[in-house]
Amino acid sequence: MARILAVDDSAAMRQMVGITLTGAGHEVYQAADGREALQIAERERFDLVITDVNMPVMDGLTLVRHLRNMPSYRGVPLLVLTTEATTEKKLEGKAAGATGWLVKPFNPDRLLATVAKVLS
Amino acid sequence: MAAIGAPGARSAQPPALRGFEHLQRFWEPDTERWTTKILPGEYYVTCHDEAITTVLGSCVSACVRDPLRGVGGMNHFMLPADAASPRGPWVDPAVGLATRYGSYAMESLINDLMKLGAARQRLEFKLFGGGRVLTSMTDVGARNIDFIHSFIEIEGYKIAAQDVGGTQPRKIVYFPAAGRVKVRRLRAIENRSIADREQIYLESLGKQADGGEVELFA
Repeated sequence: MARILAVDDSAAMRQMVGITLTGAGHEVYQAADGREALQIAERERFDLVITDVNMPVMDGLTLVRHLRNMPSYRGVPLLVLTTEATTEKKLEGKAAGATGWLVKPFNPDRLLATVAKVLS
Repeated sequence: MAAIGAPGARSAQPPALRGFEHLQRFWEPDTERWTTKILPGEYYVTCHDEAITTVLGSCVSACVRDPLRGVGGMNHFMLPADAASPRGPWVDPAVGLATRYGSYAMESLINDLMKLGAARQRLEFKLFGGGRVLTSMTDVGARNIDFIHSFIEIEGYKIAAQDVGGTQPRKIVYFPAAGRVKVRRLRAIENRSIADREQIYLESLGKQADGGEVELFA
């Protein structure tokens, strides 16, 4: 089972993602924006980060860029979970270093399958 | 056309933001505002002094704005029915299809307001709809109201005003620049067509509500 950092400014969303992942046996940490996520990521080790895009303080794609520049996160899968569905935005995510892109509303089974896939 | 500035003068139509060009917009002489009409499943945001209108049966609408930034918007949605879940022991109603879709509907509106510069802590919420418009149906209106109340609570937002429940459909007109909402209760005779339209929306929700696409960048 993996240690996962879930990042979303919506408390309802964090709750849903958290319940889904802990229900599958994962250990889940939460952050409400990119900056908070970076602070947690610096002192903890994670096997996977799942982040929203549109957040106050620091957005999810900026977070992905920062994490990719940290030696300890260079090889860690970084998934984006967002309402953004345009090709343009996805390409931006890919260029930032994201591993994959999931469009909300999220499907718990598909989220868990994607998590299992990127962790293997 | 009347001279600019004269009473009832039609102002230039403010441009619709990207992604909202397909919505129906018209000049409303009574309110002297360009008005955008939204249907079940749609939402609209603006940074101009215009109006947004919709007709609600058992569906709910959140009228949300940041008064300081001068941006606001409105959605119109209902929750899809939660089928009995085949997923196993970890399934929690907090992550059921209904909650996931409702949160998505709220987040889409809030995200677009934030892109226009709105700040979470300044957001003002006014809630409408959730009527029990047909006695033969289970009370889907109450379910929609319960959801939106619990969403507001979990997110730590406050409700500035609301007119929810009851047995009549409502026509609402929202003026985001002023934060004002006009609510008109409709007569029961109009219930049938409103309920029919909501039913079509509910059926179309089925698949679409249950998760967006997944793409892995290999």
